[in-house]
Formats: sequence, structure tokens, C-alpha cells
Amino acid sequence: METLRCEKLWKTFEGTYALADSTMEFSSNGVTAIMGPNGAGKTTLLNVLTGFIRPDSGRCYLNSQDITGLPPYRIARLGMARTFQNLRLIQEVTVLENVMLARPNQRGERLFPALLRFGVADDESRNLEAAMRLLHLARLEEKASTNAGELSYGQQKILTLACCLATEARVLLLDEPVAGVDPIMTAEILRLLGRLRDMGKLVIFAEHDVAAVRQAADLVIVMDEGKVIAEGPPAEVLGRREIIEAYLA
Amino acid sequence: MVILVEIYTILAVSLDLLAGQLGILSVAQAAFYGLGAYTSALLVTKVGASFLMGVFAGMVVAAAMSLIVSFPSLRLHDDYFVIATFGFQIILFSVFNNWMSLTNGPMGIPGIPQPTILGRVIRTHSQFLVLASLFVALAYFVVWRLSTSPFGRVLRAIREDEVLAQSVGKNTLRFKVVAFAVSAALAASAGSLYAHYITFIDPTSFTAMESILIISMVIIGGTGGRWGPAIGAAVLVTLPEALRFVGLPNSVAANLRQIFYGTLLVIMMMFRPRGIAGRYGFNR
Amino acid sequence: MFRQILLDGMVAGSAYALVALGFGLIFKVCGFYNLAHGAVYAVGAYLAYLFVNVCGWHLGVGVGVAILGTALVGYGMEVGVYRPMRRRHSTSLVLLIASLGLLIGVQNLIALLFGNDTKMLRTEPIQEGLSFLGARITPVQLLTVLASVALSAGLWLWLRKSKWGRMIQAVASDPELSLIVGVPVDTASTMTFAVGSALAGVAAILLAFDTDLTPLMGFRIILMAVVAVIVGGVGSIPGSYLGGMFVGVIEHLGVWKLPTQWQDSIVFAILILFLIVRPQGLLGKPIARTEV
Repeated sequence: METLRCEKLWKTFEGTYALADSTMEFSSNGVTAIMGPNGAGKTTLLNVLTGFIRPDSGRCYLNSQDITGLPPYRIARLGMARTFQNLRLIQEVTVLENVMLARPNQRGERLFPALLRFGVADDESRNLEAAMRLLHLARLEEKASTNAGELSYGQQKILTLACCLATEARVLLLDEPVAGVDPIMTAEILRLLGRLRDMGKLVIFAEHDVAAVRQAADLVIVMDEGKVIAEGPPAEVLGRREIIEAYLA
Repeated sequence: MVILVEIYTILAVSLDLLAGQLGILSVAQAAFYGLGAYTSALLVTKVGASFLMGVFAGMVVAAAMSLIVSFPSLRLHDDYFVIATFGFQIILFSVFNNWMSLTNGPMGIPGIPQPTILGRVIRTHSQFLVLASLFVALAYFVVWRLSTSPFGRVLRAIREDEVLAQSVGKNTLRFKVVAFAVSAALAASAGSLYAHYITFIDPTSFTAMESILIISMVIIGGTGGRWGPAIGAAVLVTLPEALRFVGLPNSVAANLRQIFYGTLLVIMMMFRPRGIAGRYGFNR
Repeated sequence: MFRQILLDGMVAGSAYALVALGFGLIFKVCGFYNLAHGAVYAVGAYLAYLFVNVCGWHLGVGVGVAILGTALVGYGMEVGVYRPMRRRHSTSLVLLIASLGLLIGVQNLIALLFGNDTKMLRTEPIQEGLSFLGARITPVQLLTVLASVALSAGLWLWLRKSKWGRMIQAVASDPELSLIVGVPVDTASTMTFAVGSALAGVAAILLAFDTDLTPLMGFRIILMAVVAVIVGGVGSIPGSYLGGMFVGVIEHLGVWKLPTQWQDSIVFAILILFLIVRPQGLLGKPIARTEV
């Protein structure tokens, strides 16, 4: 079982509170959705958890290891991967290359192996197999040699998910995985989230879309102005009046 | 003159690793060029080291010194790196020019012997040509290998989106620092070659202008492509010869050349930041 | 002796501060490190030389026209080179490289027109200087310090209080929003270049009375300005002034105490130190490690 925990996170940006005394706990028992209006602090939370932003105070723990203040690449190496709200991909290279990039512990990434190539070819072909398997899972294998920039928006979103999985991460933080995606792709992505949970991964996603949350989440955390204002199963939380008000206000 | 073209090709290739793969610009290649030349010259003339020892030592010194520049500045925005290399270049020239006891300052180091490899002295021009060609091949080999390996894949990813590279677990600072150190070592190897070819070195060969010349070569020939650096080197080494035929006094010719390089840089940046024959540029 | 060094350092630092001010302002408003500012500096000194020493004009007139000319050159660079590049969405790195090209081109043009040798702006012999707190300061040096303080304070006030100044501040803090709202970004840029270049011209002329002119003077000064701006804080006007003074004093202390070959290195060492420890400078805002 994987666990992710943050305690008493505070973060201000130029006078506004992005995170205010946020304490949350996540486990791989169920998919957790983080909801909240724009500016609630969802993306800031994700950035703090993955090391891209340092909190003013508070701590984060990944499977009981203190990861506060670690650089993002180290946290990624510890098994936590993420996607971005603005869909980061290398547009000018192929789908396959994007996934290959995400593969961990590549021999050929070190200087002397890259120059002398002992065992690099084997390593590459093993990574190639793993990449193709992931593309198969994401139903993108036919697009393997297409440039990432030529995919549809929904396909690109699934590709970023595949890249996350390529890192062999056990904890996945997804920033708006279905925003702007057509309904068919959305359903596919949400189904994938459930399958990932069944495979033992800790899945967290931040979303606006109430329907998506209802469908895919086992647990919902609602944020507003940097604070947690509600927590519980979607059916229960999403019916509460103050939640609806927080969205409309 | 072909040998000079080869020496500059090595320098251009060393910069192309940074510009073509990582998309960053170093204004310090001439400083590393000089470090290689001086290290070689000093070790061979003062301590009696062999040619290859001198080359190796020069590369190590350059790579080590590159860390002073790369560690502090590569953590920050690219602009800081350019500035840091610019500062490093200016300072190093000042050191070459002022450290009389070590480098002989403006008077330079004369009497650098011809290179000896495995007991054979490289005496004739054509023998040196072979040696230089081997060095060029080495530089091309290193850069080509790195570019086509997963290492190169990460470099290009860093150029396109460093945040993405970090999010998939790449220690981007390490990659950048290593690439810069390799680039410095290659430039130093060109320096050792130059020292033994001309048999005399002085600080005026390793100025900021020289760094700009190398940048111009990469820009003219195009970054990231295969023949780009060689084309750039060939064009910009032969051009002054053409100017010489016009019969201008030396200093005027020198100024005109620099004006040309400066204008070239401006025009290329204005209209073709991606270079002529290259595939990757600086416009992200 | 120490007091003299300190004083000399502050005089030089005052001039560096003026250059750093313009350089920092251009970075703040236009978003890139304009290395050609060093060339503009050199132009200022050489124009003064041209008008006063070669053409024989009256000192005040010559200097005044030279400063105007310098502003014009800076203006020309912006309109002729940088503005078209901005239209093409050039990144700050591309603009920096272009400015490097301009720096080299203009410096060598100066060398072509005036010769590579050292020139002197002085018309009278060197004066001994007035006594001040145990050290000696010449009238020109005093003028340098006073002018620097006055111009820095004046710039700071102008940016805060005047209409044009506030427009420039607006563009500096948010160029895209300014464009949408209708603030004339182009005008702000040209004004910034004109003002910044004029300041560099003033600094060049003041320093040229003390030290001499060489075509390559721009290279050295721009390095000082860059370090000054980084030390003082990128984007902060008082920071640029402080940074300039800091660099001037440290540089002179270095000349006093260090062997010749390391004298220039101390400036570089300061740069590296600040990049490691405090890249935002003394008065700057913290730089985000990565933008997410």
C-alpha cells in the first residue's frame, strides 16, 4: 500500500494564501479527487507535493519518508509522477520518444556508457518494449511514430498519463486529466484511473468536472482558498449545500 | 590553412553540443581553447611531458574549470549562463595576459616542440594534417555519440521543456554540467593542437572576440546538423584570407572582420535564429 | 591609503552605478540583458572626444550634445534592431545574443573611425585634488559622485511620480497586460533606451576625464554593470546603484591588494558568489527555482 501525507502546509504568493494549514492524507485504497474553484489551491498543492514549489511551512511524507524540500527530480525518482495542467509534452518528437524519455535508470543517460555503449543497446530495447506495452495500454501504439504535436488533445492527455506510468511511479498526481477532452476519451481516461487503482497505484487527480469526480473518485477532498472544507465519498460530499455554494460564490 | 579549419571545426563542434542539443550559448569556448593550449604548452616546455599527456591534462583542466561557471549559473535561467560564460571568458583572458610568472603574459610561450606520439615525431605538414583529422574525428565522434544516445535525448528534452524533464526524474543540472564539461574538454583539445601547430601561443588568440567567432561559425553553419560546424569553420577561416587580397592594413582588416561578425550575429538573430543548415535554434 | 582606495572605489562605483541603472532599467522594462549598453557607453565617451577635442567645441556644449547623441544611438538600437525582434517574439536569449553582436560591431566601428590607440579627454593637466577626510578627490571625481547620486535619485523619483515614469513601471511589471490595456509599450521601451543610454553617456564622459578612452572600454564596463545589477538585485533601481558602488569599491580593493593577474577575477568571483548564494541580489525579489 502506498501513502502520501501532507501536514499543515502554508504557502502565500504576493499576499494571497494559496495553501492555508492544509493537512491531507492519501492512500492507494481508493482514487482521490481534489476539487475546488479556480484559485482554491489545487495546483499549488500538487506543485508542493511534487517538489516544484517550496511551502512556507509544513511537511510532506511519501510512504513515511519526509520529502519536503527535495528537488522535483528526486521526488519523481522516489516513485511519484505527475501531469501538468498545461499538458507538457515534447511536441516535436514522436510519441514513442516521449515515453522513452520517461523511462527511469537508463544506462545510456550516463556519460561514459553513452560514449562507449556497453550494454546500452540492450537497455534501450528493454525500455522500448516497456514503452510499447504502455502505448498499447493507452491505445496509442499505432501513433508511436507520430510526432506528439500531431495528436488530438485527448490523445495528448492520455500520452502524458502513459509517460507518468513509464516512470514506474507508484503514486500519480494528475492535474485536470480530462479538462477539455471529448466525452469518449474522458470515459476512457477515467476507466484507466480505476484500473490503475486496482493495480495498486495511489491515484490523485485534481478536477473541476463534477461528473468526472462522481464517476472516477472513491474519495473527494474539497478545497477553497487554500483550506480543506470537506472530505468524504463523492455521493455524500457533492450533495452538501455549502460545497455547491463554494462553487457558485 | 586546412589545419586551422580543422582546429576551428573542433571548436565549433564543441559549441554545437551546447547550442544544438541543449539550446544554450557559451561565450567561453575561447577561454577553454586557451586553457588547453596553455596547459599543453606549459607541461611540454617546462616539465617535459609528452604531447598526449599535455592534451589529456588540458582537457581535464578545462572540464574542471567549467564547473566554476556551470554549477552556479545552470540552476538559473539561460541568460545567467551566457553572462557567466562571458564573465569567465573576460577574466581568463586577463589571467593569461597578466600572470607573467606562469604564462609569460603578452609575450606568450614560444618554442613549443612538434608533437611526439609513440616515439614518432610529427614533422611534416601532411603528418600534422592526419593528426588534426584524428582530433576532428574524435570531437565529431564524441558529440555524435552523445547526441544519439539517451543522454542526448535528455539534453534535447531539457531544451524543449526542462520542467517536464525534471518531472520524469532527470537531474537536469547534472546533464547540463556534464555537457558543458565535455564541451570545454573538446575545446581544450583544439587548444593543445593549436599550440603544437603554431609552436607559439599568446593571449591574443584566446579573447572574447575569438569566442564570438566560434559562435558565428556555429550560427552560419547551423546548429544540430552534421556538417554545420565544419561549414561554418571553413567559411570563417577562409574569409579573412579573401579580405587580405583587398590590400587593407592589418588593423583595419581586423576591425572590419569583427564588424562583420557582429553584424552577422545581429542579422542571424533577427531573421534566422535557427541557423542556415541546422535543425534546432534558440527560439523556443 | 585605505581611505584613498575606498574613495577611488566609490568614485568608480558611482560611474558604474549610472551604467548599471540604465542597464537594469532596460532589463526591467524590455526583459533582456542588453550587452550593447557597453557599446553605447563607449559611444558617449567618444562623441565627447569628437566634439570637444577634435571639433574644438566648448566643453559644456560638446558634452551636452554627446549625451544627446548617446541617447539617440540607444534609441536607434531599440527601433532598428530590438523592436523588430520583439515583433517576431524573440526570446530574451536571442535578444541577448543580438546585443552581443551589436556590442562587437559598434566597438569595432569606433576603433575603425577613431583608431585603436588610447585617447584622452582631458584638456587641462591633471589636478591634484581637494583634501577630503584624509584622502584626495579631484573636482571631476566629486562631480561624478554627486551626479550619480542626483541622477539616481532623480530617476527613482521620475519613475514613481511622473506620467511617463509610471507608464514605464507599468510595462515593466506586466508587458502583456499593458499592451491590452492600451499603454504604449513601444514608447515605454524607446524612452527607457533613451534615458538609460543617456545615463551611460554621462558615466562614460565623467570617467573618461579620469581614465582614458579605448575602443574596448565597453566590454569591461558591461561586465561591471552586469555584476552590479545581479548583486544589487535584478529589477531594482536602488539595487543597481548599490550594486554599482559595491563593484567599484571591491574592484579597487582588489587592485590594491591582489596580484595583477587576479584583479579582474575578483569581479567575476563576486558574480559567481552571488549566483550561488543569492541570485536575486541584495534588493531583488526571489527568483522562482523553476516556473511551473
